[in-house]
Amino acid sequence: MPVFVEDPAQFSKPRLKSELIAHNVTLPAVESKKQVYVELYLKHIVQKSAADFSSDEEDDDVVEVQDSQDFEEEKDPEMLDPSVLTDEELKTTLLKYGVEAGPIVATTRSIYERKLQRLLKPAQPRQNGGTGDADQYSDSEGDEESVSQQGSPETVSLMEENLHVDIRMVPQSWNNKNTEYRYHQCFMPLSRMQVSPQSVSLRGGCDVDSSLSSKSFSITQMVEEFESRIPLSSSGPEIKRGNNRSNNQGPRPRPYWQEVATVDKYTMTNRSLFVTPKTSLFKRQIKEPVTDVLMEMFPETEPTPTGIAATRRRPIKGAAGRPVQFKYPDLPASPMTLQRWAVEHRLVPLWVQILVFFIVACLLYLIYAAMEDSLANPFVTLLDNLSMETETEGLSLQAEP
Amino acid sequence: MSSTSQKHKEFVAEPMGEKLVNALAGIGEVLGKRLEEKGFDKAYVVLGQFLVLKKDEELFRDWLKDTCGANVKQQGDCYGCLREWCDSFL
Repeated sequence: MPVFVEDPAQFSKPRLKSELIAHNVTLPAVESKKQVYVELYLKHIVQKSAADFSSDEEDDDVVEVQDSQDFEEEKDPEMLDPSVLTDEELKTTLLKYGVEAGPIVATTRSIYERKLQRLLKPAQPRQNGGTGDADQYSDSEGDEESVSQQGSPETVSLMEENLHVDIRMVPQSWNNKNTEYRYHQCFMPLSRMQVSPQSVSLRGGCDVDSSLSSKSFSITQMVEEFESRIPLSSSGPEIKRGNNRSNNQGPRPRPYWQEVATVDKYTMTNRSLFVTPKTSLFKRQIKEPVTDVLMEMFPETEPTPTGIAATRRRPIKGAAGRPVQFKYPDLPASPMTLQRWAVEHRLVPLWVQILVFFIVACLLYLIYAAMEDSLANPFVTLLDNLSMETETEGLSLQAEP
Repeated sequence: MSSTSQKHKEFVAEPMGEKLVNALAGIGEVLGKRLEEKGFDKAYVVLGQFLVLKKDEELFRDWLKDTCGANVKQQGDCYGCLREWCDSFL
């Protein structure tokens, strides 16, 4: 049996295509299976060195390998063409690349498909190009053989791919989002484990460990800070604390851990239920050495008993009648606000308008009264009547006695 | 702050209510018409799309470019406008 027998079934489809073209063989239909290409190859090219037994063996090999190759081929169209995938598959595929996709609805589907295509682009040429070299660095799930043999280079390449994804994401995202993506890569192995258990375990371990270690490092750092503060605070010669200290020695370690937990989670919830009896103690501890991470972050906030401070949330603008205060003080007037301003504007000098009205009315009345002669008579008659009455009264009074 | 336009400030100042798509920053007459043709006739519908895309900048920009052909600046204006509105009112 010759050593350097080339097994055409192991060639990739484009390789077979190129070989056929090189030998001036007409190609079959584009969507025909690889088997057709292999047969053509065998027919036209291998016939030059045809021995019966070797051709039989090659046929057997073709039949054996066909299943796995078909399996690989089934995967290839999915990877190349996102529009074939169902919504669920699209979502899981995107998750594999570290993209947490939202709901895949009619309007969002095309966007996510395009995103997947963009993610697949750098991977595809490597897959289709060669055979041996490509297998080393490809990300395909069908290459189970290559995975088992070359575990470490694949982890390196996968890390590179993830870094590639990261680099693209970083310019657009804040630090929080960055950690989120790293998080997803931690979770990715869990999903990938269901699909290809071989390739994942190494990588999953690396990512999870690094993230966990970084987290644990921060916790230990904070704990060290708090513990370093204990001897400092206990040596403080304050009078108030003297009585409390002895009582608080026992349960002291516990609140620290709780405080560490709350601060570390950045929940900003006031878990002071356990801490309230020792408020004075904490106050002094926090004031003296300012090595607290929060204090470094927010140096201007006053220390609180629990060491947690929450900044006031900016009120919702325009909601519940609250005026728009913070962002744009020099607001241009929208129609609604203009109307509001107009109404308010009129209300202020309303009482002035009414007063002025009355003053003017009285003036007019007086003027009218002064001008008109006919009106003088009633006044005169009235006065005469009054005087007559008084006179008659006076006369009657004089007359009687 | 000074890089935001007048339209942006007006939109972000109050709940959008029944404002048209043209009220969005970055969306003018032409783009507004294209969006309306696709069925996004009110600003809140575009907001809906923005939220379905989980407020992701890249995805929303892609969608805008796809739907109405907005250029990079218009995409950025619209995204910033909606994001700020969400920060205040959502």
